[in-house]
Amino acid sequence: MAEKDHFLDGLEGKIGRTIAKKGRLYFEVADKDLHDVVRHLFLTKGCRLSTATATEMYRGLEVLYQFSHDATGRYFCPRVVITDLKNPKMHSIAPIVKGAEWIEREMSELFGIAFDGHPHPERLLTRDHPKPPYQPLRLRRKP
Amino acid sequence: MSKTVIPVGPFHPLLEEAEFFKLHVDGETVTDIDIDIGYMHRGHEFISEQKTFTQSIYLVERICGICSTSHPIAFVHAVEDVDNIDIPVRAAYIRTVVGELERIHSHLLWLGLAGHFIGYDTLWMWAWRYREPVLEVFETITGNRNHYGMMRVGGVARDIPPEAVPALLQTLDMVERKMDMIAKAAADDPVLRSRLKGVGVLSRQAAIDYCAVGPTARASGVAIDVRKDEPKDAYGLVDFKAIVLENGDVYDKLVVRVLETVESIKIVRQCLEKLKTAPGPILNDVKEVSAGEGIGRHEAPRGEVFHYVRTDGSNRPLRHKVRAPSYVNIPTCSASCKGIPLADALITLAAIDPCYCCTERAIHISDGRGVRVTADLIQLSRRKTELLRREVHG
Repeated sequence: MAEKDHFLDGLEGKIGRTIAKKGRLYFEVADKDLHDVVRHLFLTKGCRLSTATATEMYRGLEVLYQFSHDATGRYFCPRVVITDLKNPKMHSIAPIVKGAEWIEREMSELFGIAFDGHPHPERLLTRDHPKPPYQPLRLRRKP
Repeated sequence: MSKTVIPVGPFHPLLEEAEFFKLHVDGETVTDIDIDIGYMHRGHEFISEQKTFTQSIYLVERICGICSTSHPIAFVHAVEDVDNIDIPVRAAYIRTVVGELERIHSHLLWLGLAGHFIGYDTLWMWAWRYREPVLEVFETITGNRNHYGMMRVGGVARDIPPEAVPALLQTLDMVERKMDMIAKAAADDPVLRSRLKGVGVLSRQAAIDYCAVGPTARASGVAIDVRKDEPKDAYGLVDFKAIVLENGDVYDKLVVRVLETVESIKIVRQCLEKLKTAPGPILNDVKEVSAGEGIGRHEAPRGEVFHYVRTDGSNRPLRHKVRAPSYVNIPTCSASCKGIPLADALITLAAIDPCYCCTERAIHISDGRGVRVTADLIQLSRRKTELLRREVHG
């Protein structure tokens, strides 16, 4: 466990396993706490969402949001792990961060993650495709 | 007033690449905009995960033909971030020179296109004429006009030979003089001013909400610039200003780019001066990359290029994420185009300097094994045009 970071004061009990290195902080959060963490980073601390990355791992699907704190050049990256692979879903942060709309649509299309509360839950890359894909485009395992 | 949908794209004289903007108009006023991407994706992230780190540098270079060194710089930063790898000081200056020369030619390219889109073809011809010698400089110092192949994990691949520097400085002097001329002739032109001032305003709050980057954000008063916020390479060793304006209109976006070009020239001059005394080598020998995560970014001409790399100790990335600046800048058109006249919408769309090749890099697997091939794309394009024709004309 890394040393306590005062940037995250107010989020006690919501920050899980943390990896800290040279201006970057990667930490796990539960899906139910994601909105609180994102509100803290985006609205309270003025971070900017650079992007989000979904990765297919042995333990499940990991979604890593990368928030940049431009005033200090630091990165804060909350990670949500989805273990229910039959029905992968999590809360959308797009109602809080408008800039997350496209990347969540892309992750949904590529990895089959359903984002609850997304304002436009439609495919990003193949929306009007005459032959819509029948499975998430980048998932290696069978959905 | 009748409500109509005006399609701009997928293939349109305004767009150098295939993209689709559906403009909903009420009379002459744009009421909504629907952006449809997905025509240009080629699967870079997926392919990169099957290549070695060095091979991936050449791959990501081909994400975009204009900011073709921004992606490699961000990618090598990400890999270096995994193990906190330092690079030699000479390599840092060379990276900065290449990155800033790219900004100069990219901004000149946009300036020309912007002039062309509003019917000011003299500006277009001027800007592109003065861009050409910059590409020739690239050919001299890297061997290529584009796709320079200069970046390596731990440094750069080639040194800048001292005999190339005088010609480079001459070109910079010429571009600086011409930028002054363009700034006076174009930015102070009352006709151009009245054509662009107050057009397509992106408010500061909208830029923050959409997480906009680069000149799009800086023209709206959001002071973000990776070169200042997290100075890597030689950006912490040179003196320059980050250009930030307040109005968020197309005119301010033009002025930001013109002034940034002048700042880039200053940066390159300082780097070339320091290179005279900066000792070699230009590359640290990186034998292996351990398991971990790394974030790399670079201030490309259009804004922050972001690369995330996750490694497992092998010689290739386990996961490679690419986010180009246009990916976050294009959605801002939803805010800046609403409520403006249709005649202003096209230059507003162009003002973010969109790059669609960068925006789309995901893979499309049609049968679970292969990628979509060219013939399919042509078929899809024809089919979509036909569907659109029916939708519009009945």
